[in-house]
Amino acid sequence: MSNIVDEKLRKIAKDLLESGEVSLIIGYGAGSSPRRTRPVFITDAKDAHKLSFNRHSVQDLAVFLKKAEVKKFSKIGILVKGCDEKAVNVLIQEYQVSRDNIKIIGVECNGVVRQNLADKGESSVSEATVYDKCLICGEHRPLIYDYLVETDEPELKLSGALKPYTKIEELDAMDPEERNEFWRKEFEKCIKCYACRQACPLCYCSRCIVEKNTPQWIDTSIEEPGNAQWNLIRAYHLSGRCISCGECERACPVNIPLMLINEKMARDVYNMFGYKSGQDTETKPVFGVFSEGDLNDFIK
Amino acid sequence: MARIGVFVCWCGSNIAGTVDVAKVAEEASKIPGVVCAVDYKYMCSDPGQNSLRKMIREQKLTGLVLAACSPHMHENTFRRAAVKEGLNPYFVEIANIREQVSWVHEDKERATQKAIDLTKMMVEKVKKDRPIEDVKVPLTKRALVIGGGIAGIQAALDTANGGVQVILVEKEPSIGGRMIQLDETFPTLDCSSCIMTPKMVEVRQHPNIKLYTYSEIEDISGYIGNFKIKIKKKTRSVLEKDCTGCGECWNACPMHKNVKSEFNADMSERTAIYVPFPQAVPLIPVLDRSACLHYKKGGKCQKCFDACGPKCIDFGLRDEIIEEEVGAIIAATGYDLMDNSLYGEYGYGKYKDVVSGLQFERLLSASGPTEGVIRRPSDGKTPQTIVFIQCVGSRDPEKGVPYCSKVCCMYTAKHAKLFAHKVRDSQSYVFYIDIRATGKGYEEFVRSAMEQDGAVYLRGRVSRIYEDNGKLIVKGADTLSGTQVEIAADMVVLATGVIPKKDSDRLARMLGISYDKYGFFTESHPKLRPTESSTAGIFLAGMAQGPRDIPESVVSGSAAASKVLGLFSKSEYEVEGTIANVNEATCVACFYCQRVCAYHAITGKEIKDRNGNIVKVVANVNPGLCTGCGACVSACFSKSIDVKGFMDDQIYAEIKSLGV
Repeated sequence: MSNIVDEKLRKIAKDLLESGEVSLIIGYGAGSSPRRTRPVFITDAKDAHKLSFNRHSVQDLAVFLKKAEVKKFSKIGILVKGCDEKAVNVLIQEYQVSRDNIKIIGVECNGVVRQNLADKGESSVSEATVYDKCLICGEHRPLIYDYLVETDEPELKLSGALKPYTKIEELDAMDPEERNEFWRKEFEKCIKCYACRQACPLCYCSRCIVEKNTPQWIDTSIEEPGNAQWNLIRAYHLSGRCISCGECERACPVNIPLMLINEKMARDVYNMFGYKSGQDTETKPVFGVFSEGDLNDFIK
Repeated sequence: MARIGVFVCWCGSNIAGTVDVAKVAEEASKIPGVVCAVDYKYMCSDPGQNSLRKMIREQKLTGLVLAACSPHMHENTFRRAAVKEGLNPYFVEIANIREQVSWVHEDKERATQKAIDLTKMMVEKVKKDRPIEDVKVPLTKRALVIGGGIAGIQAALDTANGGVQVILVEKEPSIGGRMIQLDETFPTLDCSSCIMTPKMVEVRQHPNIKLYTYSEIEDISGYIGNFKIKIKKKTRSVLEKDCTGCGECWNACPMHKNVKSEFNADMSERTAIYVPFPQAVPLIPVLDRSACLHYKKGGKCQKCFDACGPKCIDFGLRDEIIEEEVGAIIAATGYDLMDNSLYGEYGYGKYKDVVSGLQFERLLSASGPTEGVIRRPSDGKTPQTIVFIQCVGSRDPEKGVPYCSKVCCMYTAKHAKLFAHKVRDSQSYVFYIDIRATGKGYEEFVRSAMEQDGAVYLRGRVSRIYEDNGKLIVKGADTLSGTQVEIAADMVVLATGVIPKKDSDRLARMLGISYDKYGFFTESHPKLRPTESSTAGIFLAGMAQGPRDIPESVVSGSAAASKVLGLFSKSEYEVEGTIANVNEATCVACFYCQRVCAYHAITGKEIKDRNGNIVKVVANVNPGLCTGCGACVSACFSKSIDVKGFMDDQIYAEIKSLGV
């Protein structure tokens, strides 16, 4: 990506830090290769030049907002793509971040390159090289922002030939035993490293349910049924909240297709309650509503 | 080490007929921690309780499991028995082997196995019981009564006579409600205002009652013993302390043609500055700014001001918000009538001489638009023939409401009687579905309308009403004789169905009390707690709960007052200790618990370090509001909230005991 975007970002960051409006900027900087970026934390306007954004800026930086080291800074500026910004919205909605204390620097994005391909030298943005989430992206520009930096990347051309998450329909069509078998095999791989949880911007509990031991709700060994318990309970805890940034799946060292679960949950929540997560900061979370008119059709 | 006693009750043959109680006791005795397990014919009887207490003493029991009937029945009986022997009451657990076993199963063997399982679960639970102290909530010993109709007045007077300060809030300019609009009352035909006005004056003069009329509830927060109320006192544009109610202002008002009198059910006009009726309490006029020329014509007219001796009219006065604190609330918001225009076939709104029951009431009343002479609205002539139609809107699920409005049978009979008394040689016809006259002296009253006062009762519905040559032609069916009837009437009176007061649902939401699909407030229990709402400290009275007549409204007002006085007879209010409890160490303050709490029991709490800096914010449970329902528990991702007595580890132990 061009220097124009970077220059704009650096200017915004510099101004924000110099004026004292924020004391920390979370953004991307140069990574270990030209086709990687890594998160940078800038507290001094002099370091604003380290900021950079390009098609390899994959990570959802909102994950850092849950870290104690970051929370110490009262006013924070954060660089977000459209997908990542939805996580900020949920964090505000769930009182983890105050809108008053955060400056959202939105960057327009037309897709990020899969890191495994980039590491092999891929640097073009195309239907075949971007993440699944980019193929169904509805927020090339963040929904909410204080500053917006527009991209000069060409629009991502979609032929329509590639349809992500079609496995969901396949799974829906299976009978429960088959489906169970599919997931049993996937969960068998789980090594309970909890990378999914660590990478997730919305898994912010200071004590995760898996760490609760009176009673021990989830078996912590890497055997069944503990693996399924962990992955399913985590999916439930994120249903109606997950903003489909895909970080859990990307972090998973054994390639469990976690986005299939997340996406399925998101579809169900939308179909049943007409709710999409992360769209704004004011709406009540779908599972945080007490309403006498609530659907009761699950009680047979 | 736990020393648990298991007591299996036969409940006569209620349990023992389907469950092998001896086997349940025998199996229970094998559970580790159980030191004695016995069965007995009636555990709740005196000898049953005595044996239980003896066992606690002799065996030094630390926990009890009663395999018996539902905890709704005797949990408290056994808890009290345990307390007498020095145990914390929450170390008593009930395995419900009656409602959940013997009454719903037939196969004795399997029922016995289920009873054993339930008993095992409770043994495991009681092992993990911890002592729970009931929570004491301070009481502000003042009461708020919402609504100044007969139910609210009765509630206010009884409460005030019990020595408690009462704040009575009435939306209209005067107290009196619907009852003061009525003429005479069934079945004794005593004049409504004759029996109502003394009570109204008593309210005004009572040293313990603070009266806010022309005022509405703006906001309510808090909980039993500690409610905070915001009252919007709408301005009358009159300095109340100076006003003498002399009437010079409304006599001087030039606007006497355009505004319908609400009190007279739109049957007459009133001035812009007005009192709704001569005996209004307080007798202080209200200036209706929407009708007043002063406001319409940019301040030119001030005839009322000029006429006023003490000069107490102030066009610039504003609404006030008044804050009050009370410990209990009585909601007595009353009722409205359904909109008659839903029934086009009866011609309400189209023909002037088709009126509602309430309008007819005003025509009968000496303080009404015709000074008690029955005159029909169209030409002022006294009608000779009147057709009364009952169940207009009531018992009509299609167009109206399915319920019975309860008072219409009786007031229609009263109307027919009063019509006969006032107009010689007149004739009334009553179309009805059934006659419901179940109160004391009611059946006799309806009979006398027919037999002494000659009302003709026709069982059937009216299909159509139309005007012909100055008469209203009423076509209907007489289903008893199987004939169609046609009556040429001078007037038609519709006994319109009763509905809750407009916006009562909004008030219910503000109060946090439940209401039915029509908007009537619902009782905590329809039979055994008929005056309690679903929220502690809020009581109900009058028609706000559903159709009822004057005696019933008075009874319910008194009942609500006695509940308030009972509550205030203690120095503090005790709440069961089985309420939600937050683990502040692990709470991350996402406040899903707060969002799902139906009782607004959860707020934020700041945790500070020794220097006063906020370390973190956590959820905090208000014990006065929490009912221990557990909605918050299921909403909490990090399992940082539990209900005491139903802790996660207890439920887990129960499930584990089944070997699953």
